[in-house]
Amino acid sequence: MDAGHAAEVVSEVAHLVSSPLPAALVLGPLLAAALVRPIGTRWPGVRNVYVVVVTAITLLGAAGLIPLIAEHHRITSVVPALLGKLTFTVDSFSMLFAIFTSFVWFAATLHSLDYLKHEKKHDRYHTTTLVVLAANLGVVLAGDLVTLYLFFEALGLVAFLLVIHTETDEAKKAAGKYFWMTVVGGFALMGGIFLTFALGGSGALEPLPAGHGDEVLRWAAAILLILGFGVKAGMVPVHVWLPDAHPVAPAPASALLSGVMIKAGAYGIFRVVTALFRPEIGAEVESHLWEFSEQLGLVVLWIGIATMFIGVFLALQQSNAKRMLAYHSVSQMGFILAGIGAAGYLGAHGAMGVAGGLYHVVNHALFKACLFLGVGAVYYRTHSLDLYHTGGLWKKMPITFVFMCIAAAGITGVPLFNGFVSKCLIHHAIVEAWEYHELASLGVAEKIYIVTCGGTACSFIKLIGLMFLGRPKMEYGPEVKDAPPRMLLGMGVLATAIIALGWFPQLLIKGVFQPGLHAWGLHSDILDHYLEHSFLSGADVMSVVTAFALGFTFFFVGMKFHLFHLHAPQYFSIDWWYRQAAHGLVALCVGIDRAYEAVRGRTSRALRLSRSTYRTAAERLGRQWRLVTTTLLTGAPGARDQHLMQEAYLVLERERQDTVRTAVVHAASCAGTGEVSTDAVREIAAYIADRMMRERLGVMGDAVRHGTLEHALAVLSGAGPLLARARRPIAEAAYALAPRRERGESITRDVGAVVNSLLSSERLDLLVAERVSASRVTLGRAADSLGTARRALPHVSDLSAVHARGISRLEKAAAWAVELLRLAVSGFSQERSGLMPGHQLKEETIVRTRLQIQRYARDISANVAVVFVVLLLFVVALAS
Amino acid sequence: METEATRSILPLLAFALPIVAAVLTVPAQRVSEHARAALLLVVAAAVAAVALVLAAGVASGTVYDTYILQLTPQIWMYLRVDAAGALFGATVAVLWLLALVYSLGYMREEHRLGRYYGFFILCLSWTMGLAYAGNLLTFLIFYELFSILTYPLVVHEETPEAMAAGTKYIVYILFGGTLVLLAIVLTFFSAGVQTFTAGGILSPETDPSMLQVIFWCFLGGFGVKAALVPLHGWVPDAHPAAPAPFSAVLSGVMVAAGSFGIIRTVFQVFGTSLLTSMGVMPYVTGVAGFTVLFAAALAVNQDNLKRRLAYSTISQMAYVVLAVSLLGPESTVGALVHITNHAFMKGGLFLCAGLFIRRLGAYNVQQLDGAARRMPITAACFAIACLGMIGTPPLSGFTSKWYLGLGMLETEKPWLLAVLLGGALMAAIYLLPIVYRMYFREPVITPEDRTVAEGREAPATMLGPLVAATAITLLLGIGASLPGMPVALARMATDAFFH
Repeated sequence: MDAGHAAEVVSEVAHLVSSPLPAALVLGPLLAAALVRPIGTRWPGVRNVYVVVVTAITLLGAAGLIPLIAEHHRITSVVPALLGKLTFTVDSFSMLFAIFTSFVWFAATLHSLDYLKHEKKHDRYHTTTLVVLAANLGVVLAGDLVTLYLFFEALGLVAFLLVIHTETDEAKKAAGKYFWMTVVGGFALMGGIFLTFALGGSGALEPLPAGHGDEVLRWAAAILLILGFGVKAGMVPVHVWLPDAHPVAPAPASALLSGVMIKAGAYGIFRVVTALFRPEIGAEVESHLWEFSEQLGLVVLWIGIATMFIGVFLALQQSNAKRMLAYHSVSQMGFILAGIGAAGYLGAHGAMGVAGGLYHVVNHALFKACLFLGVGAVYYRTHSLDLYHTGGLWKKMPITFVFMCIAAAGITGVPLFNGFVSKCLIHHAIVEAWEYHELASLGVAEKIYIVTCGGTACSFIKLIGLMFLGRPKMEYGPEVKDAPPRMLLGMGVLATAIIALGWFPQLLIKGVFQPGLHAWGLHSDILDHYLEHSFLSGADVMSVVTAFALGFTFFFVGMKFHLFHLHAPQYFSIDWWYRQAAHGLVALCVGIDRAYEAVRGRTSRALRLSRSTYRTAAERLGRQWRLVTTTLLTGAPGARDQHLMQEAYLVLERERQDTVRTAVVHAASCAGTGEVSTDAVREIAAYIADRMMRERLGVMGDAVRHGTLEHALAVLSGAGPLLARARRPIAEAAYALAPRRERGESITRDVGAVVNSLLSSERLDLLVAERVSASRVTLGRAADSLGTARRALPHVSDLSAVHARGISRLEKAAAWAVELLRLAVSGFSQERSGLMPGHQLKEETIVRTRLQIQRYARDISANVAVVFVVLLLFVVALAS
Repeated sequence: METEATRSILPLLAFALPIVAAVLTVPAQRVSEHARAALLLVVAAAVAAVALVLAAGVASGTVYDTYILQLTPQIWMYLRVDAAGALFGATVAVLWLLALVYSLGYMREEHRLGRYYGFFILCLSWTMGLAYAGNLLTFLIFYELFSILTYPLVVHEETPEAMAAGTKYIVYILFGGTLVLLAIVLTFFSAGVQTFTAGGILSPETDPSMLQVIFWCFLGGFGVKAALVPLHGWVPDAHPAAPAPFSAVLSGVMVAAGSFGIIRTVFQVFGTSLLTSMGVMPYVTGVAGFTVLFAAALAVNQDNLKRRLAYSTISQMAYVVLAVSLLGPESTVGALVHITNHAFMKGGLFLCAGLFIRRLGAYNVQQLDGAARRMPITAACFAIACLGMIGTPPLSGFTSKWYLGLGMLETEKPWLLAVLLGGALMAAIYLLPIVYRMYFREPVITPEDRTVAEGREAPATMLGPLVAATAITLLLGIGASLPGMPVALARMATDAFFH
């Protein structure tokens, strides 16, 4: 490229003419979409006209770009919104995309008017298509990456409504898959766009400046961008949504999805390879600057080859016509990617690749839309899409058949139909790439290419042969006739374009590609060479013949050996792995949540446990503290108190025995019947009396603590008649309960009730409390302390006798401990089991217990005294 | 920041008016419910107007200030409206107005409305004070007041769950408040009393270990409110328990108040250069990044809608801290803008959740099947807000994510994009299935839940604020670059921070 040419290019690129048309093209359908529902709910007929008119006007507007571009090469419009501004920049390539997009849209909209008759929610469908049209135009006309991303996301997310339109379970499933892949692709794209900024990009669709960022970042950006666009484009290995989503949509929507929308992805990849990752336009182009572009191109080329081959291979396995067409969309996208990849690989000389790829974009849009519309027409009439169940339709639907044949001829690359031109261009580009660096692997790629073309041919031989030719496999009623005129019109428009582009390739090559390539500073002379020497040349036609020969071979071999019904195990499909990954991600989230909740639960349990432990400990401490303070304040029961206690005990013991006796006497007096045994009565009475005694003794014990036992004792001795009042009821109760006791029933509850009622009528404690006063307490305590002091002093004789009586003392201590233990055990067991303890209360026991109490009290006093002395010593030590 | 401040009574009005209204709530209630409603609405609208006027003024280059009260000879309670404060204040006031209008419909059947409205409007006052606080002490006073006095709102329903959530809330918040207090005391000890200054008020000569202690105390204290992960425990309990309009405010503004505190601390107490030399920010980045992903992962498994949204709040607000921790201008713009954007998106989502509870009796995600048919407008608002949360252009969520992403690149940490986009992807995973359920699942209606069967669109008092929040979400996205919009204010604030 000479300097003069470069300067010219730069000036052209820099010279952007502003025009409102691109922005109007995008915003027009968007605003028009808002009116669909208001009109549609009142006048559906008017709505139908309205949407057709809107798409027609859009098409005219897109066509209006042609003179502008011819004159100015690049035009731009700017809308202030979002992050600053949305820019729309149109060059030849954008214009091409805009025109075929609106063209196919127009045809599909015409077709949809009839097709939708058996669908619901027409307003939603038409609103959605208009919004998606706007978004699609926004993608291809976008002048910067943010605008591109905005419309790309809008396109992807809103098209969800087209996929799910029928709202069958199948559609919902497909739509879900479509949606998540779109979302993930969108994030990849956004990440890629961010990284272009890190590479020094300005956000515009222009070459990234060299020398920014390292190689890793550059590759990361390129891969993310290609992945993001590739999801939409149906690129292997992110194509899995496409064969599910395209067939479930209504046929015109399938035509749009497969024909046009996936081209938005191709457009993105095209721009990434040929615009973003290439050296500056017009700069002194050195070959090493193209290095990254070459490598990226090679990657894309191979992705394309893989996509085309895998797509066609899977297409051959399908029996559902729409599904087969969808797999062909994947495969055909492979052709486009191969073209674009070759263009990137060839760098400045990539004109053939660009032309091939983009030519094929247009072609595929036309014939795939036409095929979907045709299959849709078949479905509209027969309600069947299964290749193996239809047949012989050419007689019933002749015009549809003709259009289908034209489209099939286009896709298989029959000479003089459009596919022939683009496939040859791509083939040339691959061969050129092979010759460029003599990479052996590209030679293999060329072979795969021819085989794939053969597969495509086979596939459409199968489609036309099984669906339209052959014998009908079912009876068709009169309703199976040619499609309604509006459907046919839609298909006819597309078929015309297919033939036109097959006859006059120079329309696109001279009209669009050469000026476009020129503006991007690529050499386009080779395209002239192609038009003059290679178009319809023997070699090219021969390659098509080869492909068809392969195709027929595949077809007959496949039909003969039933090779079209092979199904690989599910773990072969990438889809299965994606689903595993998605489920894994959700399961991971659930797992994290469970683990988190478990940890949280454990923590809170631990906290609760420590709190309750603290509370228990604090309570225990408090109890101890209260005990200590009470003991310190009131003193342990002294010897005098012991004495008084013993007296109280004797009084109560006497009362108890009297009570038992009374009960026995009473029983004897009533025992005329002789049914009740005296033993039982005695037992019960003894038990009740024992309980009464212990309660009364408890009151006395409280009095001891308050130091007023002698007054309490006075009360007690004065209260003889009061206490005696309880005898009679006890006797009666014992008599009444005795039979039950004999029968072995439990009477614990009744006994308790009797005791409680007696106690509450007696209220000995209140009587005692009346006599308690502070002065008496003090007096009592003083006397007690005196007595304690007197008795605490050991006798001299005792001291001298210690040595002599050592062993016997030890024995005594042991006996004391055992006795105490026995008492404790019997006390516990009585409380719990409610056994009658009467037999234990013998004279001997009473005396022994009395002794125990005495000893126990003495020991406690000794302990307190020791503590007191230690404290005293402590105080003295501190003071000194 | 060196511009001379204009003395103005407006900031004072913004925080004094709600107090007056709170005092008058009970007398007004004696007159009639309508009088109370009118009083509250007038005051909230007035505060919103004041906040917007202040924001407009600040956008044109003025800085307002006013002195309120002399606490000691050295310490004044001092309000100063700079760009960051004006933006936060305007967000608070507008969201509060929406939530208040919504309350009038939502709370009609509730008990003890005097208490609710009184504290609700009172909290507006504290939050406005917080936004406009000109020095640390003023900030602390308002921060503590509004933290503690929201307790009656959290436990308003007085169910056992609400009481438990309230206890949890108050324990966490008091813990955080104590740390903030400690940090502020240490700051005063090290630097004296100073207004917030762009380069920071702590001098680099301060003892480094002291600086570390101050920083981590601030971060720990504000981190409780901003719900950084180990400190986030109160959020998922408090939100489902509180009444929906208060949840909206809680999520939209209160959690953001913590992030706002962190912004003030980072840029105006420490200053970027000091923090860079201290080398603490990478840890903060780590904590925030972990919070983003961890909370989002937890959100996926939540059945209770409000609980799911609460986890989403934790995740989204961590973006703000993440952005701040990068110490780059672009990311700071993103942080400030995200606070505002998130407030209206999440506010809108909680208002929707409230409508689903009131009209459909639906607390759980599963109960929302087919909700779009019965409540089309609510469902549409919900869907828009969800898409916004994910960061779909042209909604406002995209704007903030965009600036965050640019900030990550600007500070040369492109790997953080994985957190940004990963969080967004998780948001899609936990939010979009709800939208799908609402639109494409058949509603399961059992004969006994008649409320679900008869659910219809809510009256205008509740729907109006929701639609307004959604409209704001759209406006903040599409018109992000217009003058006077959050981005412009955030840009001003950032310029001041990095001056």
